[in-house]
Amino acid sequence: MEATPLPELGRPDLVPQAREDLRAGAPPGLSPMLSRLAQERATGVLTRERGVLYLVEGQVVHAESPATPGLDVLLTSRGALGSEGWWEAVSQAGAERRVGRFLVDSGRLAAGALELCHLGALYDAAFFTLGTSSGPARFRYGVAHWIGPVRPVSVDAVERETLRRRALLHRIWPDADTDTAELVRTDRAVDAVLPPRQRTVLDQVDGVRTVADISLVLGRPGFHTLVDVRRLAAAGIVTTRARTVEVREPQPAASDPSTTSTPSTTSAPPTAPDPSTAAVSTAPDPAATERAARAAQAAEAAQASAEPDVALLRRLRDALEAL
Amino acid sequence: MPGIDECLLEAMRLPGARGASVVDWTSGLALGTVGDSPNGDHEATAAEAAELARLAAEHKAFAPEEGADWSGGQPPVEDLIISNRDSYHVLRFVRTTFDSSVFLHLWLGRSDGNLALARIRLGEMAERLVVG
Repeated sequence: MEATPLPELGRPDLVPQAREDLRAGAPPGLSPMLSRLAQERATGVLTRERGVLYLVEGQVVHAESPATPGLDVLLTSRGALGSEGWWEAVSQAGAERRVGRFLVDSGRLAAGALELCHLGALYDAAFFTLGTSSGPARFRYGVAHWIGPVRPVSVDAVERETLRRRALLHRIWPDADTDTAELVRTDRAVDAVLPPRQRTVLDQVDGVRTVADISLVLGRPGFHTLVDVRRLAAAGIVTTRARTVEVREPQPAASDPSTTSTPSTTSAPPTAPDPSTAAVSTAPDPAATERAARAAQAAEAAQASAEPDVALLRRLRDALEAL
Repeated sequence: MPGIDECLLEAMRLPGARGASVVDWTSGLALGTVGDSPNGDHEATAAEAAELARLAAEHKAFAPEEGADWSGGQPPVEDLIISNRDSYHVLRFVRTTFDSSVFLHLWLGRSDGNLALARIRLGEMAERLVVG
């Protein structure tokens, strides 16, 4: 979901660009700028490398990130809302910035359903937005999102939850490589009793799609997919395409040595997902054929697994280092 | 049509209710809380309850013999009941028409709580929360 720029109420860019995460003493990956904005009860939009946070009087009211599907996708994928119902709400109530309220008042959606879905999407997008980044952050005062008020949460709650989620991921599997990379299945046999939600994710692993792509295809919150992919990685069922290629023929461009030698959720700065791959499932693009070829090659690499012990040893080492 | 807060306040009107929350069992996030929590920390309680809910949802042992499929991506388990010397916990899965993993958690005093009533009411609340 693209945030349509709406008229600003002056004071744009009052806070200059800041390289927040490079500042000494800052909590790892979280935003000192965001804390300041909460203190001064600011209203506007905070833009960071991997997403945006909308604030109203210092509280987080909305968040979006390319790493996780927007509210429109989440609500329409499974039929909670027809896409024409969504667009009607946007056109009717978008200008007044009360699309959320309109959906409920017009009987299209139960209040609880909207709150659950929106709140989940907010924390998800905030998690990705507040991820480690070296890019500049900026805040534009007075900007409001057209979804309107749903259920605001405090900056404190969002930051606590983001840190808790990082720890959760780290406990499941300490290697963050699978969070952003193109994924492939390994040749490891899949347990017949794989939980259905993991199975659904696994079915979408094709050597090309990333976690963000799979989330979009399934209409599933990005963090949920992230958790399931980490579990699949921990079970040795899924790995990154770069890693399977690397086992056969090292490709410096495809893998950064620092990310493979220090498996930590904080050490591997996730790169922003390529916008072109985000659309790979719905709209075939010119590079699709090439990607399919690479996928086939990767799948072959994973299947053939000339040196299966290398992959196994690497996983073992990662796990030991994480202890 | 009730939102999260109305739903939780309704749960708190049940006899013996000590605290209630709406929790996402994949992330362990507390989407809404009311009243007390067993360890004085709603967020920690939510994360722990989420682990339990996830196991119950995912393990085949707890699914019905027939219809164990996850129709609409929702778990085949309806609720979990835990009792201890002084209280009950009822965890009720919420079936949504969008992809989610949400449950209601009600903490109930044992001496003044009515487990059977609470279980039925919580089921009704879970439905009204998303259907309106």
